[in-house]
Amino acid sequence: MVVSWLMRQSLAFRLFISAAFWSSAILLVAAVILTTLYVHDSEVAFDRRLNIYARALIADVASSDETGHNEIGQLGDPLFLIPFSGWYWQITRVDGTAEDLRSSRSLSASKLPKLADLGISGEVGGLSSGYFTGPDKRHLRMVEQTIDTGDHGVYLVQVAGNAEELNADVHLFELRLGVAFFLLVSALVGSVAVQLRFALRPLRVLQDGVAMIRQGQAETIEGIRSPDLAPLAAELNLLLLSNRDIIERGRTQVGNLAHALKTPLSVVFNEVRADASPLARKIEEQATVMKMQVDLYLERARAVTRANMFGASAHVKPALDALIRTFSKIYPAKRFALATHVATDLCFRGEKQDLDEILGNLLDNAGKWASRQVNIRVESEPVNAVTGRRFFLIHIDDDGVGLTPQQCLEATKRGRRLDETVPGSGLGLSIVVELAAAYGGALTLGRNASGGLRATVRLPVF
Amino acid sequence: MRLLVVEDDRDLNRQLCLALEQAGYAVDRALDGEEGHFLGETEPYDAVILDMGLPKKDGLSVLKAWRKSGRTMPVLILTARDQWSDKVEGFDAGADDYVSKPFHLEEVLARLRALLRRTAGHATDEFICGPLILDARTSRVFVDGQLIKLTSHEYRLLSYLMHHMDRIVSRTELVEHLYDQDFDRDSNTIEVFVGRLRKKLGIDLIETIRGLGYVIRASEQKPSPPQATERSD
Repeated sequence: MVVSWLMRQSLAFRLFISAAFWSSAILLVAAVILTTLYVHDSEVAFDRRLNIYARALIADVASSDETGHNEIGQLGDPLFLIPFSGWYWQITRVDGTAEDLRSSRSLSASKLPKLADLGISGEVGGLSSGYFTGPDKRHLRMVEQTIDTGDHGVYLVQVAGNAEELNADVHLFELRLGVAFFLLVSALVGSVAVQLRFALRPLRVLQDGVAMIRQGQAETIEGIRSPDLAPLAAELNLLLLSNRDIIERGRTQVGNLAHALKTPLSVVFNEVRADASPLARKIEEQATVMKMQVDLYLERARAVTRANMFGASAHVKPALDALIRTFSKIYPAKRFALATHVATDLCFRGEKQDLDEILGNLLDNAGKWASRQVNIRVESEPVNAVTGRRFFLIHIDDDGVGLTPQQCLEATKRGRRLDETVPGSGLGLSIVVELAAAYGGALTLGRNASGGLRATVRLPVF
Repeated sequence: MRLLVVEDDRDLNRQLCLALEQAGYAVDRALDGEEGHFLGETEPYDAVILDMGLPKKDGLSVLKAWRKSGRTMPVLILTARDQWSDKVEGFDAGADDYVSKPFHLEEVLARLRALLRRTAGHATDEFICGPLILDARTSRVFVDGQLIKLTSHEYRLLSYLMHHMDRIVSRTELVEHLYDQDFDRDSNTIEVFVGRLRKKLGIDLIETIRGLGYVIRASEQKPSPPQATERSD
């Protein structure tokens, strides 16, 4: 479950967690080993101190019997004199003849137990050591040795020291080690985090690059210089290029097909035009159906290629200027004027062909119906706070007779022509409605101040 | 009026040329871009009908080449690519109008008349000079409301002079604009046509400027309305 949860996490998080886990584990093992070694060394040093006392006592035992004096236990350490100080010695005759027991003053009336009785076996050489709880309920460490003085008997010499001193040392060491290792782990994890941020930056740049293409803000992935990712970025760019190439070829083929079909259709139309026979009428009728089918499927093919296209943008000002030049030639008696300043960097988020198609159809319509003047105004909307997207509006006003609200609704329907006496397919405004909707915009028709038609198209800003 | 039709589809080319000749124009034809380009560069056409999709050299390149070398005749483009971006490209290359395929010949004729009219600075298809009316839409001529029967060459000559009213037109220019390239030209026939026209019209509108050519001068006089009868060829 943890593994599947981890598999869902980001690469950076997984690397971070794994680095943190392994460095912690390694440092923990190191801490255990170091503590064990330290405890061992501390015990050896403690035992060495106890042994010195034990040897002094053994020497005392041996010499007292030879000289007849009874000066045993003058170790010179006041801790052996203070009652229950945690430092004790005890000499016991153990050859069974008589219980002869001497002990340090600190032991008072108490006795030290034998290690053998506590279940701690002796070592080679008769010297053994171990822990036990002393008469003062303290944790003590004791060394004991059995000595054989020959005729004078066998003695067990025991020296115990306060193991809590030893433990305090060990605990202090463990605390310091813990703090040091914690700081080390933190530094390691921190450096891993920094390294990951640094090392994974090209991935983020790549991700941002792909996102920008998806959002239509760029055409290729730029800025990847890392030798690990540069080939991937290059491959992605090639993929995009080939995608664009396929779409472009598709469009070209569609155009070629249209050309190939429309020329013979022109011939058919003109051949049968002069002929009044039923056959000629039938052919003309069918040719008209063919023409409509060609238009319909051309439009569909364009819509499909449009859906596959991303990252496209088109400047509004040059497109409008070119169209105004064109319409000034098509309708020489009418004046087409750009009534507002258009920012040169205003870009439509979409295909230039589609922008031309939208504006071309609207201007053509305005040119047909205007009596003298067509005014074009461009207006930018503020950024939408929720979606973060921005739109611009193009108002196209003519000084013709205008349309009633009912006619405005009718005019945008496919194939609907309000005036059959003016040339046109009736597809223009419905194409604008469909195209604008495909880009998340809209076309609205209304009346302007001079009574003519106002067509307003709302389109996304790049 | 002498026209050039550049269209690679033989049937459509034939239909266009036939319709234009029937409307009283002298027509040259080309079936590919290279031939069309050459003819447009070397012959003085009054207008050109140019298809965009041509073999050897596409229509857009032909048009650009003409404009680059200073050829200013009005050009009507025929295009199957009916998207505005394609049309804008055509207009920016120097086209004066367009007709989308598939089209009816009447549409081409109407656009062509409008182009020639615009070039001549006229607002309507009717050219009026005193009692004379030339209706370019129907290719008919009236004097004082009476239909005058003219041959196609007589009509072309009168039409050319009417399209270039108040300008002295030389005999050479008339020859170049009245006959297509296959016609055996002889500038002396112009004098014969002018003589016949003066006789048929019954009024001396065509003025001879010795050593320079001919001119029809604009008149303020209003003609009487025409009566419909057919023009003979």
